[in-house]
Amino acid sequence: MGAAGAKANRSIFAGYHPVLNFVFFGYVVLAPIFFMHPVVLAVSFAAAMSWSLYLNGRKGLKFNLCFVLPLMCVAALFNPAFNHEGATILFYIRDNPITLESIVYGVCAAVMIGGVILWFVCYNAVMTSDKFVYLFGRGIPAMSLILSMALRFIPLYRTQAVRVASARRGIGFDAFSGGFLARVRNGGAILSVLVTWALENAIETSDSMRSRGYGLPGRTAYSIYRFDARDRALLVLMLALVAVVVLAIATGTMKTLYFPLFSVRDAQPLAGIAIACHVALCFLPLALDTREDIVQKIALDNRS
Amino acid sequence: MILARTWEERGLCRADLFDFLHGHYYIASLVVVTLSMLPFALSFEGRRPQTRELVVIAALVAITVAGRAAFFMTPQFKPVVALVIISGAALGPQSGFAVGALSGFVSNFVFGQGPWTPWQMVAFGLIGCLAGLLFRRLAASMGATEAGGGVGPDTGGAASADTGGAVDADTSGGASTDKGDAVKWYEAARLGWDVRARRRVEWLRVAALCAFGFVATFALYGVILDTAALTMFSSTMSKEALLATYLSGVPFNLVHAVSTVIFLAILARPMIEKLERVKKKYGLYARKDGA
Repeated sequence: MGAAGAKANRSIFAGYHPVLNFVFFGYVVLAPIFFMHPVVLAVSFAAAMSWSLYLNGRKGLKFNLCFVLPLMCVAALFNPAFNHEGATILFYIRDNPITLESIVYGVCAAVMIGGVILWFVCYNAVMTSDKFVYLFGRGIPAMSLILSMALRFIPLYRTQAVRVASARRGIGFDAFSGGFLARVRNGGAILSVLVTWALENAIETSDSMRSRGYGLPGRTAYSIYRFDARDRALLVLMLALVAVVVLAIATGTMKTLYFPLFSVRDAQPLAGIAIACHVALCFLPLALDTREDIVQKIALDNRS
Repeated sequence: MILARTWEERGLCRADLFDFLHGHYYIASLVVVTLSMLPFALSFEGRRPQTRELVVIAALVAITVAGRAAFFMTPQFKPVVALVIISGAALGPQSGFAVGALSGFVSNFVFGQGPWTPWQMVAFGLIGCLAGLLFRRLAASMGATEAGGGVGPDTGGAASADTGGAVDADTSGGASTDKGDAVKWYEAARLGWDVRARRRVEWLRVAALCAFGFVATFALYGVILDTAALTMFSSTMSKEALLATYLSGVPFNLVHAVSTVIFLAILARPMIEKLERVKKKYGLYARKDGA
């Protein structure tokens, strides 16, 4: 998509097998929501912020400042305003207690939401629709066909709209000149022609597909993805890291309480290891991309 | 048993699961939303729909996404719900759900996927499904009395006044009795010749669609997405928090609902005519209609 910025196409992590991309995003989006642990949230947010800036450049910075930041402020203010649980009452606003715990929760929730949205920014740059169709096409063949056809139809309709408009200009019904009413009428006619054409075209396309054997048994789907040794090694590494984090969560070493009193378990070796694994996971794609940039730079320098 | 004991040794029990879900409204509701879409997906895939149906649905999804993209400048003022309602009314509840849910999904490939995607899918899908349940017959009659022979571009207020088109009304019910036919003929002829009566019926049909569009956008889509927003950033689900979220959403939802009404008023008749014409011409969904 055009939304993908300067470096999205060169991201080395995006070049790994779609399964790895999906496992990664599944982990980083769900982990902060599940384990509202302050350190986990902060790491996740920092990693998402830096990778989204790496992928989208200055355009990404604008989005982060104009959209993500205000949303985080709303979340940070919303919780103390409506949640009056918590033991440490700081002050009262119109008989409603404002507690330290709900302020802390609000800040953590804000960091969590900001992180999740920034991970989705990265997701949009990396997980293109063809990867999604490749991953889920076998399970939902009918719907993934609709998905990929609809994505193809959008630019097709744009081209056809230009054709219809120029044909109508040729017979004196220009949608971009004349009085306001005439322009609206001519523009409406273009849309009308376009919709009729789109529906007829859909039938023709499906007849053509059927006559070429769509839906017959034994047909395969075209794919450009290969699961090779490099993917296997990275997938094993990622799953091992995820397993450590899940183990730490399951044994309760990272349990965080926000109400009635904010408390994090005392630091234990397992929690430390789990946080290290979380850091490694979150920064994995950025590290791979940066390493590739450095390797390429050295290679270019050596050649000259 | 061993599992249960070790869980208890760790101080975990089943109540902890509820505690966990209690504190994680987003996860809990995400599970519910995803599961609620599953029956539709399974029955749609299980039915093995015709290729023609699939491609027509894909075309409608593309038109809807293009509509959302065309109005990217005006926040909330979007034709998506209107087009989903039209699709549902013309193609039935199941296809309506598919057009709605997939429009939400596909348009986010253009506008950006996010934690809101599943809720948008379920909200649009539900509206398309409801439109199919409520307006299937209305759309069929709109197509039957109005489509006539008008193949070309006949929008822009060019009211096609061909009385012959009204006779088409009974071609869909081929196996009906003589008496039924006579009544249908009479009604078709009456409406066909009495232009004012025909216009009144036509106006009522569009008004019904618009009323549904307003309620569906404001109440259904608005409430579903506002609640979703709340599950993301609040630790509580108190009455006050919900009320505050809905109240702050009112202006946005109002603009959205009004835009749906405007787009339905303009698009409903020509779009439904086109869809009914394609259905009739190519025998789409014939199994259900022919019964």
